Amino acid sequence: MGNLVLQVENARAYYIVENNYVRAIDDVSISIREGEVVGIVGESGSGKTTLSNVMLVNIKKPLSLIDGKVKLYLNGSIIELNKLPREELQRNIWGKETSIIPQSAMNALMPTKRIKDSILDVMKTHFDEIHENEIIDKAQTRFEEIGVSKDAIFRYPFELSGGMRQRAVIAVATLLNPRFLIADEPTSALDVSTQKMVLKTIQNLREKGIVKSIAFITHDIATVRQIAETLVVMYAGKIVEISSIEEIIREPLHPYTKGLLFSVVTPEPEVKERGIYHIPGTPPNLMYPPPGCRFHPRCEYKLDICEREEPQLKVVNNRKVACFLY
Amino acid sequence: MKGYALRPFLKYVSRKFIFLLVTYFIAITIVFILPRAIPGNPLSTLLRQIFQQGQANPELIRSVHKTLMEEFGLGKPWYEQYIDFITRAFKGDLGTSISSYPKKTLDLIAPVMPWTLILLIPSIITAWIIGNTLGAIAGFKRGSFTDKFTLNFSLIVSQIPYYWLGMLLIFTLSVKLHIFPGQGGYSQGTIPAFTLKFILDMLYHYILPFLSIVISALGGWAIGTRVLVIYELDADYVNFGELLGLKEKTVFSYIFRNSILPQVTGLALSLGGALGGALITEIIFNYPGTGYLLFRALSTLDYPLIQGIFIILIGSVYLANFLVDFVYALIDPRIRLGQSEGS
Amino acid sequence: MWLAMFRPLFKSKKFLVSILVFIFIVLLGLVGPIVYPVDPTGYAGPFERPPSREFPLGTDTYGGDLLAKVLNGTRTSLYIGFLTAVISMSIGIIIGPISAIKGGIVDEVLMSFTNIVLTIPNILLAILIATYLKVRSAEVIALLLGVLGWPWFARAVRSQLLSLINREYVKLSRMAGYSDLRLAFEDLIPGIATYAFMSFILFINGGILGEAGLSLIGLGPTKGVSLGLVLQWAVLMEAVRRGIWWWFVPPGVIIVALTSSLLMITTAMDEVFNPRLREK
Ligand SMILES: Nc1ncnc2c1ncn2[C@@H]1O[C@H](COP(=O)(O)OP(=O)(O)O)[C@@H](O)[C@H]1O
Ligand code: SF4
Ligand SMILES: [Mg+2]
Repeated sequence: MGNLVLQVENARAYYIVENNYVRAIDDVSISIREGEVVGIVGESGSGKTTLSNVMLVNIKKPLSLIDGKVKLYLNGSIIELNKLPREELQRNIWGKETSIIPQSAMNALMPTKRIKDSILDVMKTHFDEIHENEIIDKAQTRFEEIGVSKDAIFRYPFELSGGMRQRAVIAVATLLNPRFLIADEPTSALDVSTQKMVLKTIQNLREKGIVKSIAFITHDIATVRQIAETLVVMYAGKIVEISSIEEIIREPLHPYTKGLLFSVVTPEPEVKERGIYHIPGTPPNLMYPPPGCRFHPRCEYKLDICEREEPQLKVVNNRKVACFLY
Repeated sequence: MKGYALRPFLKYVSRKFIFLLVTYFIAITIVFILPRAIPGNPLSTLLRQIFQQGQANPELIRSVHKTLMEEFGLGKPWYEQYIDFITRAFKGDLGTSISSYPKKTLDLIAPVMPWTLILLIPSIITAWIIGNTLGAIAGFKRGSFTDKFTLNFSLIVSQIPYYWLGMLLIFTLSVKLHIFPGQGGYSQGTIPAFTLKFILDMLYHYILPFLSIVISALGGWAIGTRVLVIYELDADYVNFGELLGLKEKTVFSYIFRNSILPQVTGLALSLGGALGGALITEIIFNYPGTGYLLFRALSTLDYPLIQGIFIILIGSVYLANFLVDFVYALIDPRIRLGQSEGS
Repeated sequence: MWLAMFRPLFKSKKFLVSILVFIFIVLLGLVGPIVYPVDPTGYAGPFERPPSREFPLGTDTYGGDLLAKVLNGTRTSLYIGFLTAVISMSIGIIIGPISAIKGGIVDEVLMSFTNIVLTIPNILLAILIATYLKVRSAEVIALLLGVLGWPWFARAVRSQLLSLINREYVKLSRMAGYSDLRLAFEDLIPGIATYAFMSFILFINGGILGEAGLSLIGLGPTKGVSLGLVLQWAVLMEAVRRGIWWWFVPPGVIIVALTSSLLMITTAMDEVFNPRLREK
């Protein structure tokens, strides 16, 4: 296994709204290693995007990092990102060491500037002195590598088609060869053929060594299976299971993972869409999460203890699961 | 390539142009219909009045009467009157004034119009710039003291009518403190000329009416831009830009640019209201502009002059409206190049 | 449901202050003339007297009691504002939804009409129409302002309804459940209702300011007193340049206090009901 790249330890990240907390990330730990693609799945609202913000330490109101550490491993040293001021993160970490393809990549580029000008703006924050032509040359090369015409750089985002725009975002996000890249539902808004292309593009990023490790967020196991080795399953702000993806598909341990999987393996797309509702009930309001195991109101296998105590992630046959059944 | 890229721009601009032309046509039609449609036809009342004031030079009265009958075409069927009216309006023949007979109304309006433009254009542009900047800063620092102060200040200031603020400024800065002159466009007794002395004198008289329009107009812009900026703060491109390391300053410039664009079209729409306010401000300041002329026309019931003023004013508003929209189409790439259907 | 909805409003300091100011001015207009029953159009005494015990707001050039004028003027201005709002709102609330729900050619025709009325400078048009009206009661002024003021509201209602209809459609197709229809409906009514309420307030402001503008140009109500008429006479009699501040300051203060308190009420509501504007 590769060296550690990024590590989140016991993070709690809550949204503070009207004197109350939305416990969007509650005691979550996750490690990303070099050369690894980690898939993160979970229903909408389970905290995936919040987790990505925690990994990048993009903490701004109303989100607050209540507890926990985020460590970046850089040339043998460890940087505690959560201790850095935002300006420092912006200048030295974001875009350079870590980067993201955001959830709504379609509108992620500044709409009223040519893409090249947005790129130049990004470079100006990271380097005191820039050579415009050099940057444009490099960016054009990257655009072509990723499968966008190099002229696209002189266009406004709205002039590109959906799939092109998505890939332009990927190119811009990876210009500085960040070691760690998060892709937050990069394929959700696309049609099937564009999905395939974008997925291929992201795979290429790692194969060509442009990025070292990727966290690939989705709510769709079928997609993530094509790209990730490890799968992290989230439910209601917690990680309920971590394992290699093939093992999870062969034998899901956590009752929630079982439900999730059952709904996805069903062939018809319509059922696939609604499949998630095969699990009875709805996800909890994270302002008032249920006590004990957060899944217990919907769990078929519920034990008495589940309502009282929180299951911790524990190792079962080289896999990790948070459930009292194991 | 070039020609292709130009097409959306031309389409947008020509659509605007046609819309404004049609609307202007409708506005002129209203000007035509009003005196004829309202019960107790004011024109015939006016004619009767002219006859009753028999003590004046009967020759003159007859001649005024004849001109009026001709210009309003009162004897003819309505459609002939209408066609007549429209043709003359487009030819720039706006009829003959009654109170300053036999002067043409256009000749009365032409010398006062520049004063109104000189007062109105710089002041609304200044208000637009200051107001939008204040609003953008407030929105960017949402919830801070600066924000709260700017918002409450703007809310109150936006509700102060231009003319009342004008009265307060005259009372305090002119009557009490004698810092600025309280009326007119230039010192009494001087004759408008392109001399430095006159221009300085004019600027001196300009400050108070200018300030009263700027101050009371900037509040509205500040309030609007603040909301636009707050909406932009959560935009996807802001989030992405920050996560690529963009400085706060750069992010602000992005947000500013995108929030200000809709305010350019807002400027086009606000021109009519601003002009209305400026007309009244002119009355308060005895400023030698169109407002003052209109006021005089109203008090002498000089209907041809009133009509003429409206045709010119509404036309100017539409022309300015079109120019602003033209500029908008130039600076917003989404209009200039046409938004693709990709999204 | 409504009570629970409005409760957070009363936690907003801005809302409380502005509603108190507003109520105070309404009381001035409604109760003032009863408590201070001086004829606002009569000749009360000496000319151009500054405020004194006898004449709390002084007198004008004709010896008219300015307090009586301001109190009665407030009443008229409120009346005109309210009536203007009722008229504009009625037109907008008919045109907007018809346009949104019918769609197609009806939508197109109604919206073109709306846009035309929107782009015709309505203050200028109001001045022009008022010119030809020999007798202008408060109601006529309100009708004039109301008939010209509705377009932006109709447009906003239309687009809000459209987005709600679309959202509901998405919800339906995604979840295919009946309860969502009800949910969308429960969403729809309060959404439009608070917006309409806020617009009503803005229309009142438009009416009050419009009356003052028309009056200053000499086209205000031909009978009675209004705040605009008090200002107009102050201007005609050169009160400003002769330093008779008690003539033109009080009506202006009342107009500004009235309209800005109303505007503050709407922004406070916006902050409470529109989470994106809520401060973080
Ligand atoms: N700005 C916010 N304010 C309050 N709650 C939020 C905010 N953003 C997200 N949440 C809540 O946090 C939880 C997790 O959201 P998110 O991380 O976006 O989930 P996902 O990406 O898995 O769909 C949800 O319950 C959501 O309602
Ligand atoms: S801990 Fe209990 S409730 Fe939770 S998933 Fe396991 S069995 Fe179900
Ligand atoms: Mg998400």
